[in-house]
Amino acid sequence: MGSVLELQDVSMSFGGLKAVDTLSFTVEENEIVSIIGPNGSGKTTTFNLISGLYEPHSGDILLKGESIAGLRADVVHDKGISRTFQSLRLFTNMSVMENVLVGMHSVTSGGVVASMLRLPNVRREERAMREKAQEILDMFPGRFSGPRQSQPAYSLSYANRRRLEIARALASDPALLLLDEPVAGMNPAESHEVMEQIKLLREKGYTILMIEHDMHVVEGVSDRVIAMDHGVKIAEGTYDEVANDPQVVEAYLGKRAADATA
Amino acid sequence: MTAKTMTRDGRSGLHDALSRLPGWVWWALAIVIAGVFPLLNVAGLVETAWLRVGVISLIFVMLSLGLNIVMGETGLLNLGYIAFFAFGAYTTALLSSPKFGLQWPFLAVLALSALVAMVAGFLISVPTLRLRGDYLAIVTLAFGEIVRLTITNLVPLTNGPNGITGIYPPALSSSADRGAGGLAAWLVIDKPVEYYYLVLVCVIVLAVLLTNLKNSRIGRAWNALREDELAAVSAGITASRAKMLAVVLSAGIAGFAGSLFAYYSNVISPESFLFMQSVIVVCMVVLGGMGSIPGVVIGAIVLQALPQIIRQAAGAARSDFEVYRMLIYGILIVVMVIFRPEGLIPDKIFRYESHEVDPRELERTRQSLFDLEEGEKDLEV
Repeated sequence: MGSVLELQDVSMSFGGLKAVDTLSFTVEENEIVSIIGPNGSGKTTTFNLISGLYEPHSGDILLKGESIAGLRADVVHDKGISRTFQSLRLFTNMSVMENVLVGMHSVTSGGVVASMLRLPNVRREERAMREKAQEILDMFPGRFSGPRQSQPAYSLSYANRRRLEIARALASDPALLLLDEPVAGMNPAESHEVMEQIKLLREKGYTILMIEHDMHVVEGVSDRVIAMDHGVKIAEGTYDEVANDPQVVEAYLGKRAADATA
Repeated sequence: MTAKTMTRDGRSGLHDALSRLPGWVWWALAIVIAGVFPLLNVAGLVETAWLRVGVISLIFVMLSLGLNIVMGETGLLNLGYIAFFAFGAYTTALLSSPKFGLQWPFLAVLALSALVAMVAGFLISVPTLRLRGDYLAIVTLAFGEIVRLTITNLVPLTNGPNGITGIYPPALSSSADRGAGGLAAWLVIDKPVEYYYLVLVCVIVLAVLLTNLKNSRIGRAWNALREDELAAVSAGITASRAKMLAVVLSAGIAGFAGSLFAYYSNVISPESFLFMQSVIVVCMVVLGGMGSIPGVVIGAIVLQALPQIIRQAAGAARSDFEVYRMLIYGILIVVMVIFRPEGLIPDKIFRYESHEVDPRELERTRQSLFDLEEGEKDLEV
């Protein structure tokens, strides 16, 4: 079997600005790949292209060999890609449990009439959904236990909101999980915990593509790192290879620093 | 700790005890009251006029429940909702009146009225799905007015401003068979008490069905779209399909209610479907509590029955009252929005945002505090 995700010369521009420029990379099964790069280097645009919020102007995006470029976001989700957002986007007036249940929408099938009548198959499905949601929430020990599941999402602490977004994204058993800065705004202890959870997800067989600025986390979990600058991939390889790449150092610290390293 | 000491705002133990009652107790109580009310009329204790107020109130409960799907659950403002009510009412009037000499069976007419309104809902939802907020409000408002003006001017079909008169009462058989007496004669609904129970049963069934739907994946998808459309779409919800479903379903409920309204009132004319009626239904949903089924039921009863009660109480001034009705509504809504924006009986989740602490939620509040402490512990690296 080939790569889970493959980008082939994907380009996207906003007016005259090339946000993503002939970007190509792959993500293999059960691999954790991190995208790093300075602000405005096109990382989140790449995520939006993969998850179907934007349509690439050229190039192709393949999920398990099947083109998903230009499909609607909900269709892309059905095909097996789910994501989290850099700026949290929870359903704040819905409960913690409901947030996870919404994530299962596309993998469940209860119809309108059946749901209105609460037919046995709908009840069975609902029970199975809640059990599964419980399992997912239990992956974050102590964070979403007991009464907290019926609390609205807006009552959660910042770190727990990030965790809940991950839980919602996991609800559909995605073939590929996109995490947009999963530890942004967290303190070192919290980021360390999330890092351990991401490692746990790999053990469970998930494939993850993530954007992250926290180099400690990137170093800790990534099998491979891709560095971007100005929409272009400037380096790819293991963490050490990328971190010592002169172009990467230049992108972050400027030319003089890069020369000094070299 | 006793219940008394838990409430710091000095509320009585009785209030706590009432708040602790499970939801079904309130439902049972409401059904018993609603069910016993017409018996008072039969016993001669209540005037028949009040029964009529009851029937119309229940029809508006159905309308509000329907509008709540789009407004409360899905977050789409519809200012032309009464147009669907008109579709249902006119379908019934045409199929069951001397206008074209038709008298289709009651259940078929009821179903067809709902269906016609659903088709109208589908047609209006196609071009408006991409609209949001203000734009959607304007388009739906225009839709409501277009429907009303079309009805007023389509004289050959609707008799224009004169309306359609002599709508037959709901019957499971045609009037010719009823002459024979027996069961066929019994199966006709033409007394206010009978109408009342018919509409009451419909309202109860509808409330149960919608409560089930609200707690299903479909209800959650609507809520998710209301909360954050982009996140909902990224979580695999097809926004266009879910919104269309909400609009079509709410239109069907309005058409159903319109059919019952036409059967009950015997005569329908365009003045029953004014823009103000749409606004009143919106007020019922807002007053009761958006997204809350019991709230919406109470909101509709209050706004529909209250003016009648005031009118009766006003006695001699009764002819003047209609002039002040909208003024009172306006003041009521302003007061509500300032002091209780979540509605009379808010949806469980909106209640968290409100200013009061429900005793049932104190335990969860403690959990939040625990959450906070835990968060601080996290800070100590």
